[in-house]
Amino acid sequence: MSEAVASCPRSGYAPARGLVEVAALVGALAALWFAPDFAGDYWLQLGFRTCVYLALAQGWNLMAGSAGLVSLGTSCFVGLGAYVAFGVLNHLGTPLPLVLLICAITGGALAALVSPALFRLRGLYFTVGTLALAELLRLLMVNVSAFGGATGIFLQEDPPALPVLFRYALVVAFVASLAITLCARTRASVIFRAVRDDEDAAAQMGVRPYRVKLGAFVLASALAAMAGGIQAVKLGVIEPYGMFGLQWSIDVLSMVIIGGVGLRLGPLVGALLVVALGEALADYPEAHIAIAGVILIVLIRFAPHGVVGLAAKLPLTRRVPA
Amino acid sequence: MPDIGVISSTIVAGVLLGGILALTALGLSIVLGVMRLVNLAHGDFLVVGAYAGLFFLQFTGIDPLLGVPVVAVFVGVLALPVYRLLLAPLADRGAEARMMTMFAVSIILENAFVLAFSADTRSIARDYATVALSLGPVTFPLIYLIGFVISVSLILTVHWLVSATAFGRDLRASAVDAEAAATLGVDVKRVQMLTFSLGAACAGVGGTLIGAAFQFGPSSGGAYLLNRLAVVVLGGLGSVIGTLAGGIALGALQSIGGLTLGDGYRDLVGMALFLLVLAFRPDGFLARGRT
Repeated sequence: MSEAVASCPRSGYAPARGLVEVAALVGALAALWFAPDFAGDYWLQLGFRTCVYLALAQGWNLMAGSAGLVSLGTSCFVGLGAYVAFGVLNHLGTPLPLVLLICAITGGALAALVSPALFRLRGLYFTVGTLALAELLRLLMVNVSAFGGATGIFLQEDPPALPVLFRYALVVAFVASLAITLCARTRASVIFRAVRDDEDAAAQMGVRPYRVKLGAFVLASALAAMAGGIQAVKLGVIEPYGMFGLQWSIDVLSMVIIGGVGLRLGPLVGALLVVALGEALADYPEAHIAIAGVILIVLIRFAPHGVVGLAAKLPLTRRVPA
Repeated sequence: MPDIGVISSTIVAGVLLGGILALTALGLSIVLGVMRLVNLAHGDFLVVGAYAGLFFLQFTGIDPLLGVPVVAVFVGVLALPVYRLLLAPLADRGAEARMMTMFAVSIILENAFVLAFSADTRSIARDYATVALSLGPVTFPLIYLIGFVISVSLILTVHWLVSATAFGRDLRASAVDAEAAATLGVDVKRVQMLTFSLGAACAGVGGTLIGAAFQFGPSSGGAYLLNRLAVVVLGGLGSVIGTLAGGIALGALQSIGGLTLGDGYRDLVGMALFLLVLAFRPDGFLARGRT
């Protein structure tokens, strides 16, 4: 991502501002926790989707914006989380919070397992490798009957009610945002950026690029698996084509590019815009994807730092930390 | 255990299919070599070629295999505005910006195919598509042989173009070091545009062959892309002859995998091989230089 984001607005190592951000996150969690008491089902559905997207986008943004890893394999970890969640719920009956934790651990473990292959070559090859990995897992689920084959598997117990699911998704999004804030507001952020901007120079200075990239990849994958787990529980039935579908990877990438790659507010703004766009275009499902594609092309061309980057350039908002 | 006839037929079919696979991967490979771009819309370029062959047959009644030059020119020319309008303005940005742009082109194309041609799967129906050819115990579809011959001739032509012409010299120079080539008077933008167009033209011909041998649908592009990436990685990025070897190897291995493990595992073998080669022989198992 070096040239693409090297000139984006910087926010440095600032522990004090980190505390403010954590406080803001906790405040948002507390406020939204009571949303089900006021909002109707429609808004809770949208809220659920936004939370799941936000968790995915936070991780992707950390990888692409901070470590220079552009992944097209989000669906791989979403799908893995979904299958792990169903496996654990159906066979062990573990409580849901623990299930989501197991999803996260499995996602992180798979990322660590495949990283030697994926990090072997830099840049584009990582992207290609993640794409292949997602396809490999999907084909495995389709072909191995123990995983339900092409028809998929059902959740044996009834999924929780929508307000409960919304709160779970909210917590997942909160955990994701908190983890990213910790990464961005501690010394880790400096190391991440050093690796993104010039891997070799960073290595000269004593940073171990491999570990940094691995950390970002494992964290993002754990978050994606957790998001996949809660999404699967909401669906109640999963099949390989949907859970490992490229659509997940496309959505995440669009969100971060629309919001602004490498910018702190990028994932949030991107997730809100993509969900809003989906609703606005819901009446034209046949052209939905094409319109998203056109928006993507225009933004890449004219707003390399996304909507947040554009906003930061306006004189009135110049001081808004991005 | 299947008998020797089945095994040899499978392997021969796999090798022939591998030749076609190599042609359909060639564009991806040379674009990657010269432009450092993973063209995520490559699979959809193949689908464009398949539709072009289909409609060429429907409107002119001429056999699409005779019409492949027309299809090649058509798809090659279509690629020019994609390069000029979408990729060239991003030349001084990171590689990701161009890759994401092609990704957007890919989803727009897939959506456009559904809108224009409906979601039906189709194929270019010709009599020879179903004819089986027998040589002793070995039986294989005639269309595979025709496709193989067309593919290999085209790949060898491209190899000649790259290794023995002035354009090829500029192309190789741009692939090794675009900046140095530009300093020495190579019009790198023009080379990249022609390479992109050449890659698309090959994809057009390959797409027509796929359309004649198999069924295809508006969203086949994604699956095509992954398989072709496996070929490119196997053969070594950017190498023309490597792509041919990679295609044949993958075709044979997939056929063997399908025979021994079951048909559903064909693609799985390809993907597993892809990741293994990426992990252990990142320059391709031939490990040759770039084009």
